[in-house]
Amino acid sequence: MSAGAKRTLSADVLVVGGGMAGAMAALSARAAGASVVLARRAPGATALSSGAIGVAPDVWAAPGEPFSSRLGTLDAARRLAATRSHHPYAVVGAGLERLEEALAFAAEALSEVVAPPGPRPLFLATNYGAVSTCALAQRTMLGAELSRPGLLAVVGFRGHLGFDARLVAGALASAAASGGPRAVPVELDLFMREDASTARPHELARMLDAPGAAEEAGTLLRAALPPGATAALFPPVLGLDPRARAMERLSAAAGVPVGETLSDVPSVPGYRLQVALDERLALAGIELVRGDVEHGGRPGGPVAAGGVVIEAARWVLATGRFVGGGIVRRGRLQEALLGIPVQASESGAAGVHLAVRPTATLTVRERRAPQPLLAAGIRVDAILRPLGEGGLPLHAGLHAAGAVIGGHEVAADGTGLGVAILTGYLAGKAAALR
Amino acid sequence: MEGYDVIVLGGGVNGTGTARDLAMRGLSVLLLEKSDFACGASGANSGMIHGGIRYMLSDRHVTELACRDSGYIQRIAPHLLFRIPFLMPFTSAKEEATLRERATWYATEVYVGTYDQYQPLKRGKRSTRLTAEELYRLEPALRPGLAGAVTFDEWGIDSHRLCVLNALSARAHGAILRTWTEARELLREGGKVTGVRWRDMITGHVGEARARAVYNATGAWSPGLARRNRLHVPMRPGKGVHLTLDRRFSNYGVACTAVDGRQMFLMPHENDSIIGTTDDDYYGDPDDLEATYDEVEYLIEGVESLIPTVRRARVTRAWWGLRTTLYEYGKGEDALSREHGFLEHGAEGAEGLVSILGGKLASYRVQSEEGADLLVRKLGRTADVCRTHEEPLPGGEAPADVPALAERHGVAAAVVARVVYRHGARAEEVLRLCDEDPRLRLVLCRDEGILGAEIVYCVRNELVRKLQDLRRRCRLAVSACGGLDCARPAAQLAARELGWSADETRAQLAELLELGWRERRAVLDGHQLAQEELLRGAHTGVGRL
Repeated sequence: MSAGAKRTLSADVLVVGGGMAGAMAALSARAAGASVVLARRAPGATALSSGAIGVAPDVWAAPGEPFSSRLGTLDAARRLAATRSHHPYAVVGAGLERLEEALAFAAEALSEVVAPPGPRPLFLATNYGAVSTCALAQRTMLGAELSRPGLLAVVGFRGHLGFDARLVAGALASAAASGGPRAVPVELDLFMREDASTARPHELARMLDAPGAAEEAGTLLRAALPPGATAALFPPVLGLDPRARAMERLSAAAGVPVGETLSDVPSVPGYRLQVALDERLALAGIELVRGDVEHGGRPGGPVAAGGVVIEAARWVLATGRFVGGGIVRRGRLQEALLGIPVQASESGAAGVHLAVRPTATLTVRERRAPQPLLAAGIRVDAILRPLGEGGLPLHAGLHAAGAVIGGHEVAADGTGLGVAILTGYLAGKAAALR
Repeated sequence: MEGYDVIVLGGGVNGTGTARDLAMRGLSVLLLEKSDFACGASGANSGMIHGGIRYMLSDRHVTELACRDSGYIQRIAPHLLFRIPFLMPFTSAKEEATLRERATWYATEVYVGTYDQYQPLKRGKRSTRLTAEELYRLEPALRPGLAGAVTFDEWGIDSHRLCVLNALSARAHGAILRTWTEARELLREGGKVTGVRWRDMITGHVGEARARAVYNATGAWSPGLARRNRLHVPMRPGKGVHLTLDRRFSNYGVACTAVDGRQMFLMPHENDSIIGTTDDDYYGDPDDLEATYDEVEYLIEGVESLIPTVRRARVTRAWWGLRTTLYEYGKGEDALSREHGFLEHGAEGAEGLVSILGGKLASYRVQSEEGADLLVRKLGRTADVCRTHEEPLPGGEAPADVPALAERHGVAAAVVARVVYRHGARAEEVLRLCDEDPRLRLVLCRDEGILGAEIVYCVRNELVRKLQDLRRRCRLAVSACGGLDCARPAAQLAARELGWSADETRAQLAELLELGWRERRAVLDGHQLAQEELLRGAHTGVGRL
């Protein structure tokens, strides 16, 4: 089909990519008065995230340092920016000072599932029993926040092996040392039916959504709670549909606050986050086009995507990294849509030449160390315009947001969704300027 | 102090095979393995029980022996072997083949035709000459311009399981097996070996065991062990790297020629495909080995010469091992014999110590028989005759009925098929755990068909001491997903069985993930790189592992 035969959508801003960064860019451009089309291939890495929003963990805290004396989110982000010059927090310069504004905007946009921001970072348990520092979290998670002392009942299901309460409680001993609750495992006679015992997390969550199911779980929990229990920690399956209010019903029946852990993959909380984003995009009047954006387009010109032609003077590239598909490596690292140079280093000699080096050269043997290859992405200037090989912005109407920007390891360094929110918010605003 | 007839050092295929043979003949045996079974070359080979087609040139007797033994291995572990038909395409440099090239094709055909006479020994099919048209029908991804091919038949195997099954059989016949236990020092008195001082690498316990004979089957670690004890084991260790692709990339094995003229291959193997192999001298630390980008590129390039689309294939891991080739000076790596040999150390003041060198997986059984014969002779013992070619390995006793098992135990047939592949007739014991505890029907890995029940079964019955041992028992965390789905729940199950604390479980998980990371570093590209990002999100991000 020729481009001329297709329906044409005109808008001020085209956002490419529909994960957290793309949604934030679209919503912030829309809030600034621009008309916005969002084109995406599929839900991005946000749907596979832990479901809470890590922004800037206090990585300088000594082991066992009290939660109460850890750096606040903005302070930690400033310190990170000061020490890692290629991190997007550093690259945006003064833009970092708008972090709290961006987070408040995100919390409001995601209010279906996310609780309003508080003054202090949140310390949340993961389903490995690790403690994750987050700036925002879903309401389903707050009941088991770890910064208060007390007695936390860590719940396992006698009918399902996906979550081992003993091991999670054991690992959370470290939280108690930092002023958190003492964790004790309890096992509930839940999911005892044979078809539940092999169910995937999303299926378990849907079972809890069913009428009466959360109440039954709460009643079982109330009976199993150790004396003095102040809260209960559930596996990350507290409902698939936020409107079913599984956590609230469960808490009411149990008589203590109940929260869920952050999740690995597959992630029920991540799924909820993505659904909430999609709903808010629709509510804001942002046209969603599903499909690949074809190659060869540029801001200001027509571009085909998902069976339509889109015309927008300004674009926000929020295509993500490897999971999202914004950055690909097929023998060499490439930005997938526009062929923007990719840097594969956090510091030092950043530039296009690193993109052609062998992967083993771009990784270090120590698995836990920052891996330059996994931090690969495009470079941007302080107002998030992608840079070409000469270090100059490629196009006045082109901005970027989220994981497609390199210089940080999205999945592993605890700043991933924070970068998506801040850069999405700023890029959307910049793109909305006429 | 514990006393034995023989102490076997090394839990590879020679060590476990010989321990089994000795135990079956009524000798008391202690086997010490410094890590886990099949951690060296025995688990990092091409995974084939081949008939030694390449030895026909030098010694047809060797080929006959290899084929005969391959037939025996099929008899004792029928569940573990699978047919791999190979294609040897006829290539020419230009469109019109030269006389010389045609002569090469003809020679290949005759050569493979000669191999046919040994095929019945291992239930192999006769070779077939394929026209170009037939060749492209069988393997459409082959590059254009090939003049046809000749086929030959070989067998594949999970070599980790082969070692484990030999070990389990040895144990059933009374052998004592200690994994993660290093032989620190040979005990000697008056020019004779009297035993071994060992150290448990997990608990730190040290101990001594006495024996009149010590059998050194430590493969690439042999020279080091010898050096520590002021002895000498000459060896030409050769590093061999393989790649695994995320699926069965071709229908048949395809013999290719590498850039330097070496023979190499792409072949379907279990649920994946394997590309192999490199062969380079390696005198470094056998514990400090990794695949390099250079080797990965060499392998891809070799296959690309016949199947260009392999460049777009998803390589899930690169893995490596050290061939323990017999020492010869002045020969190229490929020209070195794959024959095995025994070295007695009496002249060095260690009478009673025998080292086995070289050899090949496909002939492990006969190598073990010869080793056991030698040890029995040295001990001056009367012993039962060798029966390792007759008595089935655990699980090989009877065929298993996959659909019936699936029906009876409420587990998907595709998963049961993988469990049956690994456990043979004992799959029923694995599946029975699901009847007792329906939660164990949880499928931890849909690629490899790993059931919760299989983790529990292996931990209870197959000498699992570390989480990473499950890589070699049931392919935990080795498939394309890299452990995204299976690592955490498997660690929980193993922890429950072995009583690990939360900290210990995390340490075990971290170690398992470490091994996967090392295998992926040199191949992170395309979709595998996206998978790595997900993995790091789950394990480094959420798990803080």
